Amino acid sequence: MKTSSKKLSRNLFIASFIIPTFLFFCLFTVYPVIQALQKSMYDWSGMSENSKFIGFDNFKDMFNDPIIWTAIGNDYFLVVGKVIGIMLLATFFAVALTRFRLRSAGFFRAIFFIPNVISVVVIGVLWNFIYNPQIGFLNAFLALFTGSKVDITWLGFPKHTIWMLLPPTIWAGIGFYMILMIAAIVNIPASYYEAANIDGAGQWSQFRNITMPLIWEQIKVSIINIVITTLNGSFVIVQLMTNGGQPDNTTHVMGSYLYRMAFQQYHFGYGAAIGVAILIISLITTLILQRIMRQETIEMH
Amino acid sequence: MAIKNPLAKLIIWVVLLIWGIAVIYPLLWTLLDALKNNEQFFLNMPWALPKFPLLWSNFSYVWTKYNFSTYFLNSIVVTVGSTLLGMILSAMTAYILARYEFKGSNVLFTIYVASMMIPFALALIPLFFLLNDLHLVNTWLGLILVYAALNLPFGIFLLVGFYKSLPKEIEEAAIIDGTSHYGTFFRVMLPLSQPGLITVMITNMLNNWNEYFLGVVLTNEPTKYTLPIGLAVMQAEMQYRVEWGPLFAGLLITTLPTLMIYIIFQRQIASGITAGAVK
Amino acid sequence: MNMKKWSTMGLAASMVLVAAGCGKTAAPASETTKPAASTAPTAAATAAASAAPTAAAAKKLTGDFEIQYFVGGYGDKWWKKVIADFQAANPDLKIKESAGPKINEQMKPRWIAGNPPDFVYIDGPELFDRQMVTDGLLEDLTDWYKDAKNVDGDKISDLLAQQPPQYDGKIYNIPFVLNSWGIFYDKALFKDKGWAEPKDFEDFMKESDTIKAAGINPFIHTGKYPYYINGAFLFPAIVSANNNDYKLLQDMANNNPEAWKNPAILKGLDKIVQMRDKGFIDKASVQINHTDSQSLFLQHKDAFIPNGLWLPNEMAKDVPQGFDFGFIPSITQDKGGKVVANTSTATFAIAKKAKNKDAAKAFMQFVFAKAQAGQWAELSGAPSNIKGDISSTKAPNFVKDAAKYLSSSDTVVVPTVSFAADVDKAMQDATVALTIGTITPQEWVKRVSDVVAKQKK
Repeated sequence: MKTSSKKLSRNLFIASFIIPTFLFFCLFTVYPVIQALQKSMYDWSGMSENSKFIGFDNFKDMFNDPIIWTAIGNDYFLVVGKVIGIMLLATFFAVALTRFRLRSAGFFRAIFFIPNVISVVVIGVLWNFIYNPQIGFLNAFLALFTGSKVDITWLGFPKHTIWMLLPPTIWAGIGFYMILMIAAIVNIPASYYEAANIDGAGQWSQFRNITMPLIWEQIKVSIINIVITTLNGSFVIVQLMTNGGQPDNTTHVMGSYLYRMAFQQYHFGYGAAIGVAILIISLITTLILQRIMRQETIEMH
Repeated sequence: MAIKNPLAKLIIWVVLLIWGIAVIYPLLWTLLDALKNNEQFFLNMPWALPKFPLLWSNFSYVWTKYNFSTYFLNSIVVTVGSTLLGMILSAMTAYILARYEFKGSNVLFTIYVASMMIPFALALIPLFFLLNDLHLVNTWLGLILVYAALNLPFGIFLLVGFYKSLPKEIEEAAIIDGTSHYGTFFRVMLPLSQPGLITVMITNMLNNWNEYFLGVVLTNEPTKYTLPIGLAVMQAEMQYRVEWGPLFAGLLITTLPTLMIYIIFQRQIASGITAGAVK
Repeated sequence: MNMKKWSTMGLAASMVLVAAGCGKTAAPASETTKPAASTAPTAAATAAASAAPTAAAAKKLTGDFEIQYFVGGYGDKWWKKVIADFQAANPDLKIKESAGPKINEQMKPRWIAGNPPDFVYIDGPELFDRQMVTDGLLEDLTDWYKDAKNVDGDKISDLLAQQPPQYDGKIYNIPFVLNSWGIFYDKALFKDKGWAEPKDFEDFMKESDTIKAAGINPFIHTGKYPYYINGAFLFPAIVSANNNDYKLLQDMANNNPEAWKNPAILKGLDKIVQMRDKGFIDKASVQINHTDSQSLFLQHKDAFIPNGLWLPNEMAKDVPQGFDFGFIPSITQDKGGKVVANTSTATFAIAKKAKNKDAAKAFMQFVFAKAQAGQWAELSGAPSNIKGDISSTKAPNFVKDAAKYLSSSDTVVVPTVSFAADVDKAMQDATVALTIGTITPQEWVKRVSDVVAKQKK
């Protein structure tokens, strides 16, 4: 039963926690971003003082631009690949390093995060090397089995080079989601597992019935985060390993295409339009995902 | 619960070992390469071990001649400031959004999450003009504020998930005890969300420490460069092939602090706070 | 982890950009020393000191003067020296240097806000002369240039080996660094194997057969930066196929649709196809960057590489003993045809909104003097655009080769052509696709023409 003063104190509490932060956020993030996205309605080179208002022309061009569609396809390909790859491995490692009482679990926990900490540049150089047709590790490894020299150009496939970008991104991304889930798992009261042990439940059943449901929030967060960051950020690795879309624009993702258009081909307005597209696509994807996963939650309980 | 099945145990160990090698190798490789001199690089055998004498001097060279000591200081100040600020503000907002219903809370949450979906690079120029008007270009404070703001969406997103997964009984218990809202948050909920907080802290620290794209435009005075900017400038000056040993040394100097922090704190994450506190 | 990816993205991107920039004029070029160089140092001091007051007609420069210059493969030694000299000659002038490897990105907001520096060196990533002209950022120098004299009293237009590019008949920037694309090979290797140095396309194809039979890949290029093979192979091929008339390239660059229908383009592309179909192009090319391709070339895994005069300097520490760089500006000419030298330049310009245009113009006159320009080669290792610049007795062999070609009347020297960014990118993409066989020459032309058609005037 809330008296009016309790209500007031509650609202004040909420306001004091929310409003200053939100204003701060708006000033430094929302406001500049809106200004930038506004440019999607303009024809601006990104360097001149003048820009011409052209309404939705950039978006019309985008719709007819075949590279955009390839890029969107590549983005989703990476998203699906990464979600599957990362979630499987990260969950496995998280469970293995918390629930299985392995010795040296702490050691593994410590080092599995390393790829996330290493500069993306090192990762790019490393994987470029692995894929190098002449002196790369992958071809050398394969040659052990075939007995003769292997010189496949892993990053030069006319249509499927994008597949080769999956391993580096998964490898570099797992560590973070692993600790996310470790943090979630350790929050589960040990008593639940003890009870299950007493009941005679096996490890797999404990995983399915205790661990999974109770870390479901974090799994959701992880999946959504992978989706968002892939749609928004995976262009770093694309840029490093294929110099933005090579060969022949088959490996572009929306982010790399945006960067190229906005900063290297002097079509900032178009780049901004791509930014808007990324935003809308991410939003739609996330909403759909949330809907799907909410149903899963209902089923789980 | 230990694994009883020996085959399963073996498989698990093998997988962990393989992965362990796969992740340690690049770091080791960076270290080994940091100790080489130029000639060894140009033998074009990157996997080879460095020859003696090991050039530990590459590190001091980069520290002094390339001003990494200054950059290091700037990075520390900016990263610590922005990470802490971001953490506190995220936690406060996330707590409200997760536990308190009010009109518009969903909209607010969506705004924060949606802002993660925007390629922030686009906002570079407007942001520069904003900071310029506030006289915050080339200042620690400018970078701290911008980075903290950038940390908010993810921090809020993550912590909402954490707060949602904590049992409601905790707050109810506190309220019955007569604790104020503020007290409940600061004395009960905040400590309980430690694993989540640490995760956020590590993530934000990583992002802030490594941030380069905005930094290079928002700080054009070399004395205010952070490590990533200094590194990029150094690499550009060295024309990409001339001094690889120091380049890798620089990369390591940039990488190690975050790795250290992670190693220290991951133990806290893993040990966690058991729900014994609930009782 | 989007922020991490963004932040390190920048680092990565910058490395990529710098690497790309290194390929163009920004990379250190050959160590040419000019004939004037040896006498220049002594002459310079006196010339500069005495010339400046007289040439400037005793008009002392005052006020603020800001110079933006990108620091890349050419370093900044020359800039520091020249600016110091200029300051000495103009003690009342407050000179500000905005310089560094990232300066173009850092100065961008200033240009956008209409508050640019006075004088700018156009080089490095994120700065492109054609775009700056389109964006109206540069001062129109057409009239000034007609009579401009340097501080020695010589007309600048007489001194330059290559005249400034014209945009719609107007001049906005003046080339200072002059470089050339071409095909490199190892003379020592060729001598050792008894291979002849090719003089035209027929030779080249014949030699490549022999080379391939000997187990070496004839040709390698960098698929990540296709402008190398475009600059050193395709464009000369087009010029050769067009009866050595390079106006075609200029028309193409001006987005003239008729130019793009010229059959010479198809003929040029066909030469790539011929190379490709005989298996002469190293399969690895498509995915490697310039330094990797250059390393392989130096290790004799490949015999020919398209590149610029900066190559030997860029790879200086990598060059094995006994390697002797051979250079020919083009090998795409038909039998008995002339060599085509496709040049690339870095230019100086004055901002349209410069606050101190007098000082900027005076500085322009200052640097184009024999004394200052002469020091460029010493201090940066690259050829400058002053005539008679490239030959020297102390220069390495390939520089002498280059110089011979560039000053020979039998060489077609193509003034630098800069295409619109979209068109350039379309050409690069199309060429890579052509080299791996996913498109035909006709499709190459169609693709790029479509992009040309979309360019606004």
